[in-house]
Amino acid sequence: MGDRRLRAAILVLSALGAAIAAYLTVTHVAHVRVACATGGCETVQTSRYAELAGVPVAALGLAAYLVLGASAVLGSDLARAAGLTAALAGLGFAGYLLYVQAAVLDAYCQWCLASDALLLLLVPVTLLRVVRADPPGG
Amino acid sequence: MTRRRLLLASLAAGVVVAGALIAALALDGGGGTKTPAAAPAGASRVAALLDGIPQHGTALGSPDAPVTLVEFADPQCPYCAQWAETSLPTIVRRYVRTGKVRIVFGGMAFVGADSDTALRTALAAAAQSRFWNVIDLLYANQGVENTGWVTDSLLRSIGSGIPGLDTQRMLDERSSSAVEQALAQATSLARRAGVNQTPSFAVGRTGGPLQLVQLTTLEPSGLTPTLDAALGA
Repeated sequence: MGDRRLRAAILVLSALGAAIAAYLTVTHVAHVRVACATGGCETVQTSRYAELAGVPVAALGLAAYLVLGASAVLGSDLARAAGLTAALAGLGFAGYLLYVQAAVLDAYCQWCLASDALLLLLVPVTLLRVVRADPPGG
Repeated sequence: MTRRRLLLASLAAGVVVAGALIAALALDGGGGTKTPAAAPAGASRVAALLDGIPQHGTALGSPDAPVTLVEFADPQCPYCAQWAETSLPTIVRRYVRTGKVRIVFGGMAFVGADSDTALRTALAAAAQSRFWNVIDLLYANQGVENTGWVTDSLLRSIGSGIPGLDTQRMLDERSSSAVEQALAQATSLARRAGVNQTPSFAVGRTGGPLQLVQLTTLEPSGLTPTLDAALGA
C-alpha cells in the first residue's frame, strides 16, 4: 500500500476520531447529556476517570487525533514516527480505559468504544507507514 | 534516522506515553465531575405532576381545599409505591390541582432503617417545599425492602432531578430538630388514627375529623367515591 493511501486512511480515521473526541470534550465541559445507546455514557463521563489533572480525557484524545491528522498531512520521517507514537499511546491508554469501564464502572460509553475501534485500525496503518517509508523519489 | 531506529523509537515512545497516562490517571485521586450521575427514573414525570402545586410541610395542595386526604405510607412499602404510580397522578390532577383536596402524607418508618433515612430526607426537603417530589421520586426508584437501597448517592440523584431544590442543604438538615419533630408528629398521628397497614387512607373535611377508608383497590376508584362524597357534603 502506497504511502498516499496510508495517509488518506489515517486522515479519514483521525477525522472521525477527532469528531468523537471533540463531542465528548464539549459535552463534558458543558455538562450536557451525551447521546447514548449503551446506557453508560453518563456514568463514564461523570466518573473520576473522565478527567486527568483537571483536563478532560476526551481532550487528550482530541490532541492525539490532531497529531495523527497532522502526521498524515506531512511526509517526513518525524511525522510518520509521531503518528505511530500517537496511535500506540492512544490505543494503550484507551485499553486501560476500556478495562476501567468493564471492571470498575461496569458501564460502557459507546463513543469511547468507537474511538477504541478507530485507534485499533490506526496502529497497523501508522506502523506500515513507518516500516514502508517511500523509497527516495517515490 | 534509519527506518528501523525510527520504528523502535516510535514504539518505545508510544509505550512510555501510554504508561505515563495510565499511571497518572490511576493515581489521580479526583477528577470526576461533582454533578451526580443520570437523573433518577421518573424525574420529568414527577416534576410535571407537581409543578405549581403549593406544598406546605407534608401537605400537597391548597391550604383552603375543603377536603383533606391523609395517606399513611412507608417509603419502603411496595403497595404504597404502586399506589403512587397508579392513583396519585389521577388524584392530583382531578382533585388537588383543582383546589378541591389537599393530601397530607402521614409518614411511617416501620419497615426498616431505609424507611427512616428516606422519610428524614423527604422531611428535610419539606423545608424547601419539596417533600412530595422526594417521596414520589423515592417510590419511582424504590428498591427491595431493607437492602440499604436508600444511599446518599440515590438521594443526591433524586435531589438533582428536583427543580429548585438545594440538595446539599436537604441532606444536611436530615437530623435537624424540625425533622425530629416532624417524625415524632407523624408517628403519633398514625397511632391515633389506628393505622396498622400501609398504605392506609383517611378522608375528612379540612379541619374536621378524619375517617379511615377501607381500601379495596389501589386504583383511583378506591378513593374517588369517598372524596366525591366528602366534597358533596
